[in-house]
Amino acid sequence: MNNMDSQQYTSADQMVVTAARQVKNDDSIYVGVGLPMLAALLAKHNHAPKATIVIENGIIRVTPYDLPPGTDSLGIQAMSDQLTSLFYINTLGQAGYMTMGFMGGGQVDRYGNINDTVIGNYHKPVHRWPGSGGGNDVMSFCKRTVVILRQSKRRFPERVDFVTCPGYFDGTPNRREKEGLPPGTGPVAVVTDLGVFGFNNGEMVLESYHGGCGVTLDKVRAEVSWDLKISPNIKVTDPPTAAELMVLREKVDPQRLWSGGKRAMPAAPKESLDL
Amino acid sequence: MGKVMTMKEAVSRFVHSGNTIFVSGCQHGEPTAAVYEIVRQKINHMTLVCALTGSISFMIGEGLLDKIITGYMAQDEKMSYVLVKARENGHRPIIEEYSHFGVSMALLAGQIGIPFMPTKAQLGSDMLRYNTNIREFPCPFTGNKLVGVKAVVPDVAVFHVQRCDEEGNAQKWGSLGIDQEGVNASRNIIVTTEKIVDSEVIRRDPNRTIIPGFRVSAVVEQPFGAYPMHLAGCYAGDNMGMMRNMMGKEGYESFVQNNIYGVKDFNEYLKRITDTQGKDYFEKLKVKNPIYSDPVISGQ
Repeated sequence: MNNMDSQQYTSADQMVVTAARQVKNDDSIYVGVGLPMLAALLAKHNHAPKATIVIENGIIRVTPYDLPPGTDSLGIQAMSDQLTSLFYINTLGQAGYMTMGFMGGGQVDRYGNINDTVIGNYHKPVHRWPGSGGGNDVMSFCKRTVVILRQSKRRFPERVDFVTCPGYFDGTPNRREKEGLPPGTGPVAVVTDLGVFGFNNGEMVLESYHGGCGVTLDKVRAEVSWDLKISPNIKVTDPPTAAELMVLREKVDPQRLWSGGKRAMPAAPKESLDL
Repeated sequence: MGKVMTMKEAVSRFVHSGNTIFVSGCQHGEPTAAVYEIVRQKINHMTLVCALTGSISFMIGEGLLDKIITGYMAQDEKMSYVLVKARENGHRPIIEEYSHFGVSMALLAGQIGIPFMPTKAQLGSDMLRYNTNIREFPCPFTGNKLVGVKAVVPDVAVFHVQRCDEEGNAQKWGSLGIDQEGVNASRNIIVTTEKIVDSEVIRRDPNRTIIPGFRVSAVVEQPFGAYPMHLAGCYAGDNMGMMRNMMGKEGYESFVQNNIYGVKDFNEYLKRITDTQGKDYFEKLKVKNPIYSDPVISGQ
């Protein structure tokens, strides 16, 4: 992989680059560990240098940092704008000051509900993830939540067995607000290694697919478990630019923690699970 | 009688079978040395409250926990030998699941002496179906749905910090996770500290004190007390190396037998590391390029 042509890229590169484009320069972003952090850092090095990164254990910073192996390191703390608590971070979210959430997930369903807990019976699981962590807090509080995860049919069921982080429930209008969740919150995009999904009336709709790295519409359809709605404006995802790839490889992840071929962060259990 | 004592004494005096225990350090500066001593003393039937702490896997593996109150915990036995071992010995803990914020709210309620805290976190999630300590209720003012998170008041907290005086005025800096609520909610507090400092040091920067001395039961000086976790201003971690050595049954059993049961205290364990890894092992972990803040000025 070291001799890879600078213009060559994988579907995983496309996923991270595409997710990064969701970040705006004036965003305050509640960022999860792993792929979300990679994408947020790419955005900061690229088009959104002023975006504020907020990490659950109590770190708020505007300047970029070296990709940590977990949620915390000496490097990610040093020269932060504020070091505080998990409680304080979430008060910013609950009171409505987090413009963007960036999270992974075990499974996502037709209505954007995330399962980070269990497949099958809660007490006799077929598969078990470690649970919400900050995921429920991100999805409950942030204005625009972007979910980033690898796509497969098992990861994209029509309805999740366990709602860890509610999206739009069953798609009924205003259901989030009726359940008491803050107005104007919820998932706005799901970015995978195959395509980009938006939401229309609470239901996931395919907006683009990663044709530039060989993904077809049929492939995207085959890796969801329901009759997927396709946007009338469906297009091929804009491929990564040379600048985006260069930033990803040389600035965001120079140690190749993620892009060194393994394509998995060492401490991102949700992503390393073979599902 | 003074509060300064050995780890062995602090744990035997203030951590008891059946206790609810808070373990500080959410991916930063957890009280590893205190946790190992609790394992060494085999204090069992405990309820653990924590977020993202690594050392507590020994409490699980050694069958010391009846229940864990947390937001994120490996629960797949394929990924966790300690769960397999705990189950085989009939000691697999019940895991009571919240969101991260939910755990901090339970502790905050404990800290401020109120039976529960209201939040919008976890609303509409299936966590409410399996955890009876988070319940939906209508807001008394708007009628909108809220989640009440029942207070948790730990019997004891173990809290590792950079510096503390002999009275227990404890200062920690860096990311604080759920330390403030967890420590302040707890009835008894064991502070373990990299260094016991003169009270003057504390009083020149009192905003940094997380818990005042009158709330603290015991003070233990323990350099590298968070190792293999990092601690701001002190040392980098070596968690990945640790994880590799501990994978699977053999790695785990060898670690527990040699480095927890097989030593009299944490310092003997640290010495074993320098014996095998080289005398400069800990020296190399120390912060190499310290950043100094401008002085905080008080006085009149």
